[in-house]
Amino acid sequence: MRALVLVTQTAFVALMIGLWALGSWIGAFDPAILPPPEKVATALGALLQSGDFLGNALDTIIRVIAAFAIGAPIALAAGFVMGENIGVGRSLSPVFNLVLAVPQSIFLPLFVLLFGLGFTQKLIFGITHVFFVVAVNAMAAVRQVPHGQVMLARSFGADRLKIYRSIYLPAMAPQVVTGLRLGVIFDIIGILLAEMYASRTGLGVLLLRWGESYSVDKLMAATVLISIATIVINETMRIWEARAGRWRKILEAR
Amino acid sequence: MSQGRPIVIETRGLRKVYGIDRAPLVALQDISFAVEEGSFVSLVGPSGCGKSTLLQMLAGLVPSTSGEVLVDDVAVRQPAPEKISVMFQDATLLPWKRVSENVEFPLEISGMPAVKRRQRAAAMLSLVGLADFAERYPHELSGGMRQRVSIARALAPDPRIMLMDEPFGALDEQTRIKMGYELLRIWEKTGKTIFFITHSLTEALFLADIVLVMSHRPGRIVGTIKADLPRPRTYEIIGSAEFGAARNRIWKLISQDDRDVNGEGMASL
Repeated sequence: MRALVLVTQTAFVALMIGLWALGSWIGAFDPAILPPPEKVATALGALLQSGDFLGNALDTIIRVIAAFAIGAPIALAAGFVMGENIGVGRSLSPVFNLVLAVPQSIFLPLFVLLFGLGFTQKLIFGITHVFFVVAVNAMAAVRQVPHGQVMLARSFGADRLKIYRSIYLPAMAPQVVTGLRLGVIFDIIGILLAEMYASRTGLGVLLLRWGESYSVDKLMAATVLISIATIVINETMRIWEARAGRWRKILEAR
Repeated sequence: MSQGRPIVIETRGLRKVYGIDRAPLVALQDISFAVEEGSFVSLVGPSGCGKSTLLQMLAGLVPSTSGEVLVDDVAVRQPAPEKISVMFQDATLLPWKRVSENVEFPLEISGMPAVKRRQRAAAMLSLVGLADFAERYPHELSGGMRQRVSIARALAPDPRIMLMDEPFGALDEQTRIKMGYELLRIWEKTGKTIFFITHSLTEALFLADIVLVMSHRPGRIVGTIKADLPRPRTYEIIGSAEFGAARNRIWKLISQDDRDVNGEGMASL
């Protein structure tokens, strides 16, 4: 099953590159718009040795990590309180639903006015992207902790802390990790968007600059590189997710 | 059943009211009874009569509105796992733990060292005949096996009292009868005091020394039937005249109370 997935994915990527190479070779694509794969590969090699590119990439990475490091714990705490405390959850859930319906990207111009073009603006934009998806999943995770299991632990004399550790943690883990994985993806989306909209440094700035100046080989190279990086992050977190949810998968398979 | 054994569980005027502010609902009223050390007591009554609430009050999981529960003459206000274990209707095994780890769970909570609790779990699993399944996960077991793991887990802390809330209610009839035998065997071997909730009159009578009969709205004890039947119990007892007579007495107690809602009690047979 797992091998099949891998084969399908590899075949898909190979097919795309193959079509791209074939199209370029027979002259179906304008090289000024879509340069052939080998040219992009050369550009990619050059990017990886360019101090300018690596410096901007590092800026982006720092922003992504900082937004996650701040946003995820706050979101986990908020989601937990909302899930655990019925009153708080009931009064805040409708507010959450309202906010979730609004595309966060429309706040970007406002954020730039409020927080300027620097680190703060992008950090806050990243945090708002991380927050909701992580919080909503944490809240749902708390609510699905089976009451019977909590009662069982209580009957054996478990205090609150032991109940959290022995029942809540394993029962919540799969969905919390799902939330965190989506949080990372949303985080990257938010940071790149903020960088492309208004920033002095970062990968988003480079992408925008290369697009506007028709440096398509560099643009494609960076696009490929970012895609690979995000795919690796996502797949790594999916492995974690599968491990945390192994017991749940077994139940579903029955 | 021998006379004059010490009382381990006693309830005095237990009462439970829900929703005090608006439209109070009296779930339990004036529940008073006593359970002798080492005896097997069944509590039978229709669904929704407050049996589970009563059991949770005995376990110290739910507070009473008034009245008190005494275990060894001490009022129960919170769970006392060193004295009392609880078994729930579904086995409530933790799906992420292996069978042996599930049995170890109460010992883990009480802080027993890992080596010791592993030995204890192994001993309990062989008592319930599941020694070969220690490394399996709950989902790999049948319903009856899961309840046996649940029994092993309840026995693990070596409590004197086991409170069981319709533990075999979700099992098919054959498995249910086998589990009844199994429980009686374990009871005779360990000498625990068992308080067993069921809605099956036959099961209540087949297992117990004493059957407490409960009625609903509000839940209260309407009678106490002594099961003067020979032990060890065999399946044939169920067809005997004494068994039938005792079961009729229980039915009469339950159905009398239902005369205003004609035939509703039938559904809980």
